[in-house]
Amino acid sequence: MFDAHAVALGPHGMLAVNVAMLSIIGWALWRAEQKLSFGSDWIALSMLGVFAIAGRVLLDPIPNVQPVTVIVLLAGIHFGATRSIALATAVALGSNLIMGHGLWSFYQAIGWSAVGIAGALLADRLYVDGRLALPALAGVAAISAFAFDWIVSLSALHSLSADVFLVYLMAGIPYDLLHAVGNVAFVAWLANSLSDIMTRHVAIPTAMVVNDVATNRV
Amino acid sequence: MSELIGLAVLLILLSLVVASSFEEENRLKALSVAWVVFLLLTFSTIATEWARMTAVLVNQEDDPHYGLPDLWDGKQVVCLHFPERNVPAGFDDGRHHIDYDGTDFMTDVEWNETGACIGGFSGFENGWDLLDAAINATGDDFAVTTTSYSFGLMIDSIAGVDPSTMAGEFNGAYWSLYHNGALSMVGIADLELDPDSVVTWRVDTW
Repeated sequence: MFDAHAVALGPHGMLAVNVAMLSIIGWALWRAEQKLSFGSDWIALSMLGVFAIAGRVLLDPIPNVQPVTVIVLLAGIHFGATRSIALATAVALGSNLIMGHGLWSFYQAIGWSAVGIAGALLADRLYVDGRLALPALAGVAAISAFAFDWIVSLSALHSLSADVFLVYLMAGIPYDLLHAVGNVAFVAWLANSLSDIMTRHVAIPTAMVVNDVATNRV
Repeated sequence: MSELIGLAVLLILLSLVVASSFEEENRLKALSVAWVVFLLLTFSTIATEWARMTAVLVNQEDDPHYGLPDLWDGKQVVCLHFPERNVPAGFDDGRHHIDYDGTDFMTDVEWNETGACIGGFSGFENGWDLLDAAINATGDDFAVTTTSYSFGLMIDSIAGVDPSTMAGEFNGAYWSLYHNGALSMVGIADLELDPDSVVTWRVDTW
């Protein structure tokens, strides 16, 4: 019998395959997005969600480097808090259905939602005159990495006592640092492109429909 | 700690070189790639050094790892406790904690015995193999001499400390073997280990 799947890839080979797959997904989504009509905010959000989930799953071999935090932050800036929370929660659940779902999913959803809310609150400072303020965004993305990781670490309180929690947080600092630097890289390389996509699909407020007909005219 | 400082200095120098080599438009892209690559390449060292710096001692008395650094949880450890008057030079200020690669990263001056614990090992199934690995990890600091008898292997001296030469208010002294805090009923060559065994040697008398 032939065993067509007997090729054993090392960790670097697997990472190369994953990066290639993520590139294909990103390119295909980008091409598909160009054919969308302006203002397709929910479709654009769904596509960003697919890219975020794929990015988190496929970049898993690199510890704590993934694009979700930056995508959610940008969604908060462009789409507002509510939709960034929807995106954050869906990405946490969707990626964890592959990577492992549990109590931590809830804390991840809260953590990324907090990042989205921060993006919405800081939108006026991070998106100025139709352009992203990249240095400021990189700074917020780096801080978001620590904030997200520490919120997720709260889940450890279910099994650890409060007095060792600080030690637990301290032990994770190298991983937080990697998350922060990864976020800066995603901001530097992807933020402007993602921002352009989001800007095209921010829903333009529709005209208010007047339900009551004026009965008196001057 | 010194390795972390060295890496931090290297990162600053790398950042300066990269920042000065690129136009402002591409500077953040270049810097971010340099930082990610640098961190990934040095992550193992950073994580290990950081874990040693932030380690705390296990404080649950019923845990065989009681008093040992928490980064050795789930790992195998060999402790060598010396009599007060026979401590090898450099190990008389408390209990030293030495990682599997020979790095002496923490000393517990509060511990009521002096000597060293060498830990962070995994996968050993036999006591002698673990002891041998621990001794090798520390170079010549804790060289062991043994005598082979029909009933098994006897430890004569550790780090030059030979209990048979000690004098005091006792009839005799010997290196005694403990496994997970309890006196071992078998010799070191016959000792079957757990994945997180703590093997302790101390001098007992009769």
